[in-house]
Amino acid sequence: MKTTILVLMLLTPLAALGQVPYPRIAAAETTPADWLTYSGNYQSQRFSPLTQINRQNVAQLKPFWVYQVRRTGIVETSPIVADGVMYITEPPSTVTALDVRTGRPLWTWTPAIPSDVIVIGSPPVNRGVAVLDDNVFVGTIHGHLIALDAKSGAVRWDVAVDDNKFGYYVTTAPLALDGKIVVGVSGAEAGIRGFLDAYDPKTGKRLWRSFTIPGPGEPGFGTWGGDSWKTGGGSSWLTGSYDPALNLIYWGTGNPGPDWNGDVRPGDNLYTCSLIAIDATTGRLKWHFQFTPHDTHDWDSNEIPILFDAPVNGRQRKLVAMANRNAFYYVLDRETGEFLVGTPYAKQTWADGLDAKGRPRVRPGLDPSVEGTLVFPNIQGASNWPSPSYSPQTKLFYQPAREMGTYFFKGESKYKRGDPFVAGGGRAVNGDDAWGAVRALEATTGKLKWEFKLLTPPWTGLLSTGGGLVFGGTEEGNFFALDADTGKPLWDLQLGAAVKANPMSFAVDGKQYVAIAAGYSLYVFGLP
Amino acid sequence: MIFTRCASLALVFFLVPAAARSAPAGQAAANVGEGKQLFQGMCGRCHGIDGTGEEGPNLARPTLTHAADDESLRAIIRDGIPDRGMPRVRRMTDTELDQLVAFVRSLGRSPAAASSGNVQRGGEIYKRLGCASCHIIQGQGSSFGPDLTEIGASRGPNYLRQSFLGPAEMLPRGSSPVPGRGFTEYLPVHAVTSEGKDVTGVRINEDPFTIQLRDTSNRFHSFRKTDLKQLDKEFGKSLMPSFRGRLTDAENEDLVAFLASLRGAQ
Repeated sequence: MKTTILVLMLLTPLAALGQVPYPRIAAAETTPADWLTYSGNYQSQRFSPLTQINRQNVAQLKPFWVYQVRRTGIVETSPIVADGVMYITEPPSTVTALDVRTGRPLWTWTPAIPSDVIVIGSPPVNRGVAVLDDNVFVGTIHGHLIALDAKSGAVRWDVAVDDNKFGYYVTTAPLALDGKIVVGVSGAEAGIRGFLDAYDPKTGKRLWRSFTIPGPGEPGFGTWGGDSWKTGGGSSWLTGSYDPALNLIYWGTGNPGPDWNGDVRPGDNLYTCSLIAIDATTGRLKWHFQFTPHDTHDWDSNEIPILFDAPVNGRQRKLVAMANRNAFYYVLDRETGEFLVGTPYAKQTWADGLDAKGRPRVRPGLDPSVEGTLVFPNIQGASNWPSPSYSPQTKLFYQPAREMGTYFFKGESKYKRGDPFVAGGGRAVNGDDAWGAVRALEATTGKLKWEFKLLTPPWTGLLSTGGGLVFGGTEEGNFFALDADTGKPLWDLQLGAAVKANPMSFAVDGKQYVAIAAGYSLYVFGLP
Repeated sequence: MIFTRCASLALVFFLVPAAARSAPAGQAAANVGEGKQLFQGMCGRCHGIDGTGEEGPNLARPTLTHAADDESLRAIIRDGIPDRGMPRVRRMTDTELDQLVAFVRSLGRSPAAASSGNVQRGGEIYKRLGCASCHIIQGQGSSFGPDLTEIGASRGPNYLRQSFLGPAEMLPRGSSPVPGRGFTEYLPVHAVTSEGKDVTGVRINEDPFTIQLRDTSNRFHSFRKTDLKQLDKEFGKSLMPSFRGRLTDAENEDLVAFLASLRGAQ
């Protein structure tokens, strides 16, 4: 008996015990059957090395199973898969564990959301969970971060990240690092002062808080007029990236508050609309790069920063790239924050390019106005939360691009706790005057390699794979695969509702699958 | 509560001189104005600052799918429609709910406009021109063009006049769920298949891979775009003929009056 148990233990890798320790996540590329963190790896490349589904056979792709969410709403979840179990979120803040072989639920957990919850700035959505060791971590629309037992969904701990009465809430998937869970907040449209937090995975104790808006005496404080820093926004509502060697977290920050009337917050408004590099141990700011100083068009810079290494001007460098909501593609040195490349990847009318330091040469007269000012990109941006992808095979940066303008209006807004603090808004252009594309950019230069046109600006992220494919989707309900080298469409299927989620890939029992949420369903596809 | 309201109303009537007793109408206007302010802050981010739609649906329609009456509209603003992604932004006061309902309703229903035309004569012109061969009113007519049963509630007289004098300049921007997303409705499309089959019609729906049409005989067609050798979306055109120059000015106004009188089953 004892011998049998010992043999079983020796034969069973640590993984089968349900453990997802930090080293496994850090080495995600060595276990491509799993998908252990929001964007697949700490570099946020949303690239699956799996090759079984490829250019030659993708046309045969068939639904394997479909799970219909029990809690309806907009399903923006990005699944995590570890050891045969898939963890998804359902709107607004439910976590469900599914058997990846069958789609049958293993457990589901829903927080008690108070009836007076405040959600200002987005629909009440959730984009996914983080896993670490034996726990699953989720943020909620009432502003809590909760650890659940990965086997049962039982609550391990539950902490309020901040007070929802001020408009703080969480839609982003947390990021699990070595001994810490990092989470960002939404709420700039309610006039919060944004921050990034790290928590002890075992106890829920807060380890550090890094404000996205400096306080009195701190560097950058002078970029805010008067008391405007107190309600300056700068949300941190999308999952960032991590470089274990540099021990730096890369996280995008959102728009300043109020959104569309900058008169009350003169100055550059640091560190809104920026990429911040944070020391993971201390939470201290290492460097920052501001894409849109003194933003008045709601162009958050929360988009996914992708990390990759490549030669620039003959020298191998550690890089971070972002296709920003303001329609420019940026490449920075991720050790120092030095600006290297910035070029438009979608139509923009607001800047005459960037200067040598990457600061935009803003065209005058394009601020929001009482009568409405037409500006490209649109209010939701040339990019938004849907993930880009980077393939180490093709060295291309794949971006869902949104080609659209907005009439921007300026209004007045007085801060009141828990109320919208936006001061204006936008009017969309007609549907036929907007469109979208999947664009493949040369990652080090931003130069367009190919594009695949879409009828409307997409809300679907992209996945690239070792099989030479790029998966994406449309507002019209199409899910499709393109040739990663050429953009040629190789397969598509109508899923019956808008695809507002990110695709991912995993394998079980030696077979590769691709998963995507659309409408109220999560679809998993495989070869027959 | 009821007592308090009656009491304050009585007080108002007692204090306000007769000339100023248009209070209910004035109150409604104030509601709409206040509602507009609230709407821009609370709702404009998703529904567009003027309610004509952004990521959320266009609300400038005479009938709202989820809000048949003011009470249900009020409930939606109060509670959201979580399963459609609409949050309850925050807890609203009764007054704020009244103001928002008043404003949202003002978006979709143009006031019954005074017109110099004669409704009955306009109805006769509608018959004479054969409009029913493409349009339905109260279930009667053919379905190639838009249903006009409620057109007077959703469109003002200038729009109505222009819609038959220069229909190509007035193709409606989508407010119905299909094709949705602010697309032009009744867009003329010309498609030629790789076998040479030639179809002219209006677009019903479209995605990057396929397109759905109704031809001029009101027959349905579905194509994969890769099977077409030609696909022209003819923006700026309409398959409805222009009636410019075919009616006297007085007849134009009669037709406008008739169309403006079409306000649904009220």
